[in-house]
Amino acid sequence: MPVNLVVNGEERAVAAPPLTPLADVLRDTFFLTGAKHVCGEGFCGACTVLVDGKPAVSCLTPVGLLEGSEIRTVELLADPSGDLSPLQAAMERHDAVQCGMCFPGILMSLTALFETDAAPSRDTVRTALAGNICRCTGYERIVEAALSVCQPEAAQ
Amino acid sequence: MVAAHEARLHVATSVDDAVAVLTEAGGDAVPMAGATWLMRAELRDEPIRPLYVALGRIEALKGVEIAADAVSIGACVTHAELAGGLAGLPEMRGLAQAAGHAATPAVRAVATVGGNLAASGFAAADLAPALLAADAEVEVAGSNGTERLPLAGYLATRDQAAAGSLIVRVIVPRGDCVSAHTRLPLRVAGDYPVAIVSMNVAVSPDGTIADLRIGVGSVEPVAARWTALEEALASQPLDPEAAATAAREHAGVFAPRDGVEASGAYRVRVLPALVRRAIEALAASR
Repeated sequence: MPVNLVVNGEERAVAAPPLTPLADVLRDTFFLTGAKHVCGEGFCGACTVLVDGKPAVSCLTPVGLLEGSEIRTVELLADPSGDLSPLQAAMERHDAVQCGMCFPGILMSLTALFETDAAPSRDTVRTALAGNICRCTGYERIVEAALSVCQPEAAQ
Repeated sequence: MVAAHEARLHVATSVDDAVAVLTEAGGDAVPMAGATWLMRAELRDEPIRPLYVALGRIEALKGVEIAADAVSIGACVTHAELAGGLAGLPEMRGLAQAAGHAATPAVRAVATVGGNLAASGFAAADLAPALLAADAEVEVAGSNGTERLPLAGYLATRDQAAAGSLIVRVIVPRGDCVSAHTRLPLRVAGDYPVAIVSMNVAVSPDGTIADLRIGVGSVEPVAARWTALEEALASQPLDPEAAATAAREHAGVFAPRDGVEASGAYRVRVLPALVRRAIEALAASR
């Protein structure tokens, strides 16, 4: 039986085995390749998307549990014209992106954070990123970029 | 042997429905809540079951209900919901810390209380030692009705439970006490803890320990009470250094597990430091 989802605002149905990870459905069925299926155990956070507004590791999310759910991925952040979102632009401005493997997940974790806390503290930003491992940057530029979006003075 | 793509999913509509389907399937089916543990099975070469019974749509398994004498926690309450639901209850601070610092934000948003306790291979579960320290009981539904048993008894027998058994809720007594939860992950966050120490203490007017329960997790395969240390600290003041010394003297009771992230000997070696931190936190929260 197909599972009905709303993916980035579009109603979609997928007839995948119920234990198929959402990450695989997004990448292989819907060709939304922003979320990366990396560790497969929920440790790295590279597959983070939003399920009903909350960050979720899509590698551990079986599609069979998602009937009627709203999924948002990194592909939704930029304007259809190609203009980056304020968060994406801040990452570029702070030169925070290196290899990019972890970044879709980092952007979605921060998107979820900003939707519940418009002006998070530095500690809150770091806590929100506790499940997103970056092996390139050391995180500081990422945190600075995030703070520059919500607290321009704090990031100076 | 079933491949992951061959497994079926039944989305249960009620506890009775879930119990009936699980019972009929015998050992071929298991409950599924947040799925964060079960979804790792294929990667870890663990067996895939032919049938999974999804519990997330059952309203009776949701919600944190706070009464004067106890807190009732539905089995499908997530770690994040539990941490939020216990905020403002001083005696539940340790349990709230356990729920609010386990794993990562994305896992806490879906991983449930029932799943944390039912995952028998999950030695590093944070809620198990915290709930042991809190003297929690577990309500389990099965084909013969519902029974309530101490958490320690549930943890000891969960692998032998009859097909169809299902945690419905966890009941935590309230009282005039304080609690703390200390853990040592190798990273600051987002990692399985090497060892966990949870404490719940009632303090006499003279400042000495009147009643103390200590839960230890991640050291042995199953979380357990540290009764030898509880007895050693009875009627003693909340002295962090003295408690750490006593912990070293009574650390020989454990049969620790080796793992890729830490040896069994190391897990035991860090316990006195965790005990010291827990006593410091208890003293500070009085």
